[in-house]
Amino acid sequence: MHSFELFLPDNIKDASLRGGPNAVFKAAGTDLLDRLKERIENPETLINLLEFKKDLAGINPQAGGFDIGSLTSIHDIASSASLAGPEWRALKQAAETTATPQIRNRGTLGGNLLQKTRCWYLRSEAFKCLHGGRGPSCLAVDGENRYHSVMGTLDCMRVHPSNLAPALYVLGAELSTQSGEESNRFPIAELYPELPLASEAEHTLSDNEILTHIHIPAAVTGTSTAYVESREKLSFDWATTAAAVLLVMKGKAILSGRICLGAVAPNPIPCDQAAEMLAGQDASMELFGKVAAAAYAKAVPLAQNEYKIELGKAVLRDALAQASGLR
Amino acid sequence: MTMNPSDPANFSRRAFLKGASVAAVGSRVGTEFSKGAELDKSSSILDKGSHPITLQVNGSKRELKIETRSTLLDALRDSLDLTGSKKVCDRGACGACTVLLDGEPVNSCMTLAFDAVDAEITTIEGLARGDELHPMQQAFVEEDALQCGFCTPGMVMSAVACSKRHGGSPSMDQIKNDMSGNICRCGTYPRVFKAIQAAGKEGGR
Ligand SMILES: Cc1cc2nc3c(=O)[nH]c(=O)nc-3n(C[C@H](O)[C@H](O)[C@H](O)COP(=O)(O)OP(=O)(O)OC[C@H]3O[C@@H](n4cnc5c(N)ncnc54)[C@H](O)[C@@H]3O)c2cc1C
Ligand code: SF4
Ligand code: FES
Ligand code: FES
Repeated sequence: MHSFELFLPDNIKDASLRGGPNAVFKAAGTDLLDRLKERIENPETLINLLEFKKDLAGINPQAGGFDIGSLTSIHDIASSASLAGPEWRALKQAAETTATPQIRNRGTLGGNLLQKTRCWYLRSEAFKCLHGGRGPSCLAVDGENRYHSVMGTLDCMRVHPSNLAPALYVLGAELSTQSGEESNRFPIAELYPELPLASEAEHTLSDNEILTHIHIPAAVTGTSTAYVESREKLSFDWATTAAAVLLVMKGKAILSGRICLGAVAPNPIPCDQAAEMLAGQDASMELFGKVAAAAYAKAVPLAQNEYKIELGKAVLRDALAQASGLR
Repeated sequence: MTMNPSDPANFSRRAFLKGASVAAVGSRVGTEFSKGAELDKSSSILDKGSHPITLQVNGSKRELKIETRSTLLDALRDSLDLTGSKKVCDRGACGACTVLLDGEPVNSCMTLAFDAVDAEITTIEGLARGDELHPMQQAFVEEDALQCGFCTPGMVMSAVACSKRHGGSPSMDQIKNDMSGNICRCGTYPRVFKAIQAAGKEGGR
């Protein structure tokens, strides 16, 4: 890790104004330190957002939903009594299955949404790839790609690693940010680039924009959600595929649904067309099988990751079964 | 600003760092901020050099001088000679460096030492009372819960936190969940789990 200066802001405006191309915001640093130690990033300045822990950590009920501070730890989300109901379950399940107890104790929700891809070529100083800005091409296309994207043929096959992002998609979350004195509020989908090419940063925040809050709207009566992921180990592993779903149910009937896939593409992938197939139908494993097939209809495997497509469908079926109460 | 570091009222990161070698950022305004933005004078910056800090480790205040980039693990091992916490992966992935920050297990390799200034740090060296092992350490010995022992300091710290969190009688599922961030290449897991159960109420002391 190269040396850096450490900026201790007194207020969010100061922190934002200090942002720029040679500076980087730090929350707990559990993702950032990894990148600094690998020397794939060498900023001059770290801006320590933990100075705002008192103001930006906490899960506060708000108009039937919640305002969650960006510095709230993943542990606090996983263990929150306020999020215990079926309508919020996806978020809790996503938090519970993230990383290890040690990382969950420190790692923040904001950092989880803004972490960089775990592509092993990008994460290693030894490899020089297109998205890392150090090489001419994607090394995963013809390389070791069993954990990479199955959702398209862009020039970077990375997958988005966040467990919490797909859950927040189906919950309809919005984000608040601050740059200088200006604040912004937008749907979570806008946090990620529309076309996630190699040349695109993995999130759309500018280098002086600080994520301050995550807003979750009130849930409609009959809402039930679930998050399920597949991984190689029973505990403490990154997802190989993930699915978050939200169903609005009346008895056995599904009034409407939302689906978002994780770990299969450079962005979390909302599947609106597949979700529309749920509306007006009775919950059944047969229906969920068709919906899962539709969600993965456009999937294109790389040489080593065809397994993700069948596995991903099963995970989505499971999530729908959980949310509908079939399982 | 002057301060007495032994007065807990003064023991905040902000106060302490300001009392140390911190430059006020006022002087940087204008050169760094093209838009003519004004920073409040109370923000501060620590340059790339070394800075004196105080850490509260195992119940005592320890003064040391470290660079901004120093991890808590490096500060403990290299500056304070507390080499019980081990550096294995240095990436948050194995748990050998686990220490307790305000009672909660964290990876000291992924924590900047400066971020631990306000916290109570407990390392493996802080568990025994003189020659008397901590009940969790004793249980590890009695259950033969180690082979090479390299993962053991981190295992014990997570085990203490697990025991405490569940009032001394964690279920097997709770143990497995709470210990999932500690990897043992010698495969001692079953005995570690047994030791946590055997330690009972005193295990979370
Ligand atoms: C061993 C290990 C296993 C893991 N397993 C999983 C897993 O299974 N699933 C999963 O989803 N994640 C996993 N993670 C990732 C983990 O969730 C993140 O490292 C953590 O949430 C990041 O939070 P942080 O506060 O440490 O962020 P930092 O490391 O401080 O920051 C991460 C990034 O976000 C930016 N940032 C952070 N907060 C803000 C903000 N408020 N405003 C603007 N920018 C900000 C930083 O500039 C940086 O680029 C794992 C991590 C490790 C080390
Ligand atoms: S998938 Fe993206 S990050 Fe990974 S090697 Fe290819 S271009 Fe680089
Ligand atoms: S050395 Fe810190 S987790 Fe491995
Ligand atoms: S006892 Fe050898 S690594 Fe655990």
